[in-house]
Amino acid sequence: MIAFPVFPIFTLLIVLGLAPVLPGIANRTKSALTGRRGAPVLQLYSDLGKLWRKGVVYSRTTTVLFRLAPVVLLATSLLAGGLLPLDGRVALLSFPGDLVAFAGLLGLGRFFLVLAAMDTGSSFEGMGASREVTFASFAEPALFLCFTVLVLATGQLQLAGMFGVPLAAAWPVAAPSLVLAAAGLFIVTLAETCRVPVDDPLTHLELTMIHEVMILDHSGPDLALILYASSVKMALFGSLIVGVLAPRAHEQRVLAFGELILGLGLVAIAIGVVESIMARLRMNRVPHLLVAASALAGLALILLLR
Amino acid sequence: MIMIAGGLGIILLSGILALALERYPRTADSIFRWGVPAGCLAAIWPAVSLLVTGALPSRPTAGEVFGLDALSAWFTVMVLGVGAVTAVYGVRYLERERSKRRVGTAHLLLSILIVAITGVVTAERVVAFLASWELMAIAAFLLIIFEREHAEARRAGLIYLVVTHVSTIALIGMFAAWGPGLPGGGFQELAIAAVNHRVPVALVLGLGLIGFGVKAGVVPAHFWLPGAHAAAPSHVSAFLSGVMIKTGIYGLLRVLSLLGPPPAWWAWTILLLGLASAVLGVLWALAQHDIKRLLAYHSVENIGIILLGIGLGTLGQAYHHPALALLGFTGAVLHTLNHSLFKSLLFLGAGAVVHATGTREIDRLGGLARLMPRTAWAFLIGSAAIVGLPPLNGFVSEWMIFRGLFETGGTTGVLRTASAAACGLALTGALALACFTKLHGVLFLGTPRHTATVAPGAEQGLINPQLALAAACILIGVLPILVIPAAAQAASAVLHDSGGIGEVVAGASVTSAISVAALALLALIAIVWRLRARVAYVDRAALGPTWGCAFSQVTSRMQYTASSYAGNLLMVFGPLAGTHRVVGPGTLHVHAADPVLDRLGRPVWSWVQGAASNMRRLQTGRIFWYLLYVIFALVGFLLYLWFVTAP
Repeated sequence: MIAFPVFPIFTLLIVLGLAPVLPGIANRTKSALTGRRGAPVLQLYSDLGKLWRKGVVYSRTTTVLFRLAPVVLLATSLLAGGLLPLDGRVALLSFPGDLVAFAGLLGLGRFFLVLAAMDTGSSFEGMGASREVTFASFAEPALFLCFTVLVLATGQLQLAGMFGVPLAAAWPVAAPSLVLAAAGLFIVTLAETCRVPVDDPLTHLELTMIHEVMILDHSGPDLALILYASSVKMALFGSLIVGVLAPRAHEQRVLAFGELILGLGLVAIAIGVVESIMARLRMNRVPHLLVAASALAGLALILLLR
Repeated sequence: MIMIAGGLGIILLSGILALALERYPRTADSIFRWGVPAGCLAAIWPAVSLLVTGALPSRPTAGEVFGLDALSAWFTVMVLGVGAVTAVYGVRYLERERSKRRVGTAHLLLSILIVAITGVVTAERVVAFLASWELMAIAAFLLIIFEREHAEARRAGLIYLVVTHVSTIALIGMFAAWGPGLPGGGFQELAIAAVNHRVPVALVLGLGLIGFGVKAGVVPAHFWLPGAHAAAPSHVSAFLSGVMIKTGIYGLLRVLSLLGPPPAWWAWTILLLGLASAVLGVLWALAQHDIKRLLAYHSVENIGIILLGIGLGTLGQAYHHPALALLGFTGAVLHTLNHSLFKSLLFLGAGAVVHATGTREIDRLGGLARLMPRTAWAFLIGSAAIVGLPPLNGFVSEWMIFRGLFETGGTTGVLRTASAAACGLALTGALALACFTKLHGVLFLGTPRHTATVAPGAEQGLINPQLALAAACILIGVLPILVIPAAAQAASAVLHDSGGIGEVVAGASVTSAISVAALALLALIAIVWRLRARVAYVDRAALGPTWGCAFSQVTSRMQYTASSYAGNLLMVFGPLAGTHRVVGPGTLHVHAADPVLDRLGRPVWSWVQGAASNMRRLQTGRIFWYLLYVIFALVGFLLYLWFVTAP
């Protein structure tokens, strides 16, 4: 208990180190399926390095809040990673109800990013902020319904307790619910990581952007922090999905962690596939998709409560 | 008790002197500024020591009119703590008004209100309780109409006066149904009557829910609240919204403690009412464009969250899960305290903005962070706390309630369905995030939308009370262990079961995990901030205008406003939110009507008026008819007696 948690720190560092690969895999999948060569998988690393070395331009309208926001965003994403059991069993930090803390930390990051957008006084960024909070209001209940399904299926209140053995034991009896919850989580992931069909990371028209338009005024290291935090967020949600679909109860810890890395790659590929076979939804249709995610999770819940 | 009485005496005396020495403003102000906190400190001391040492006197001591148990002590601490802060703020806030009206009246009324509410939460007898309750209602009414030259304030005051008396009447009915013929009218006797099963439980709980629910502002009886809280001076709004409506919560908990475990239907009712209040409250708040009305609607939301906790607690009682009951009640009382801290913080911040700019219209403001930087930071902390974000106090209590909701999932039978309420609470949190990013963003960030003149040093004298409340929010958020044992004691006073406290205190490792997470978060933010300053070239920063996406004639009117920011969400929730949009050339206004007041309240009220004017036909003004009425009444009573006594 008191022993220094070497392995969780080790796994967390690897996941944090590999996170920028995930958007690269998703984008590469998309270009492969649409018959283009596409950017290298490791593109984001070069982008981050370049941005980190650059200077910054700040708008005269902004306050300290604008500079603080990327820092808070990254810090919350890192800490949220510490709550996830990356080898399927042990997390760096774990307590009953830590899934609320997971969502709360991501909420704090969003709170600051949205305020930073409002800080610029730009109508475009205000628009992005408004869209972000609107869609988050639909994603959040869906996420919590998925959590409730997991709690009901496993009887555990902490993330580290529920993945692994309890979830593996739940699969034979509650398979339909868990599949539905995983589907719900996948839709929430698409929304939270700003991918098609909710948001298009490659769009070049400000009026159609959500996440990208919020960070228009961020530059240099600040932008690097935000881009990196987004890739970490994709890794976090990917880990949740992998954890639900492939509970690792009995393997060696190293092997279990290896499976997570493999699973994260598959999630990124799945995101890329969705991006290449779907167009993004009209803005006013996005809530429908997210309510559908809630409906899937709600159905899973009803199946469990039966 | 002597210390409490003495402290309350000092508070009252300061109020009286503040009015009596009106001609010597400086003396009057400094007496009030120092007298009220001193009195609060003296009176708060026994309550704090009771909660800390946990020495519960046998409750209730026979013959006492007022007394303390853990539940009373918890609420006393809240009333006096927030009361002292708002009173200090009020001195400075009203200074400017001195030329227009008798400021001392407001000070005296506030001190009476503080004393009356302390009386409500410490009363041990029905008569003392109801007398304090009524004193509180009247003092609050007079404070609401303090700026009585505004028709809006008079109207809000009238609605409040009617509604609060509905509450009083329901409570008189409740006590009458509970203990007819109880000689002393002590709470002890009520409890004994409940043990002996001589109480019509359904009637008592129903009337109690009406009486206390109306006071707390539970949907659909919330409609008096936004107008009343917005009309009062800001520091009074802070006290009304942060503390006074909690007397409804106290009343519900006190009834539960005296009555014993409620039936399951009542617990489910509370849970559903809590859910409805939480979601609808935040939705209506989102539609507001008046700072104080917006904050007042958030009180409806937070009362909903507290009711979710009470609902969980009563479900735990009804289905015999003591751990769940304790968790629910602890979450509820903790959120009650937390809400009183961050809501009064936000109202004081809003007051500073109104004081500096003279407007409550969110859409006329903007860019205030440059002019009032410390107010902006304090408001930011309050906003993050009310949204329930870590590492602040709102997160701790919402986490407890979430945990309780998840905990029901581990049980059996129909109780498991309660876990689905977690979805509603999550929706509430996300909408609150939308609402407070809107409020903080539009008020403090960006550029000023209208040329409001803010004198330099506008926050002077108003900022310290806010910083004190913000510090309390952070302290509870980072070190919840400071308050959780005391909250658990207050909760177990409801349950009459101190066995569970051990469990919660054993859960101290859990709360320390929250502290570790909170400290880790703060440390990570500091590390990344330093790293960014050291390693990256942020010192090479250049300043420029906000990028206008190739458009160069940007004006501050192009910024997103409160209406347009919330527009997307309100479009989706339109009918539920009761808003309607007016889109004109270059303008967008979202009109927020209160669905309950406008669609239910007014029709019912006009029906009552119609019925009343029909009743007027009885008043013919001719002596003959009045004699006849007397005879009819006498005959009626005789017939009744004959029926009752007939074998």
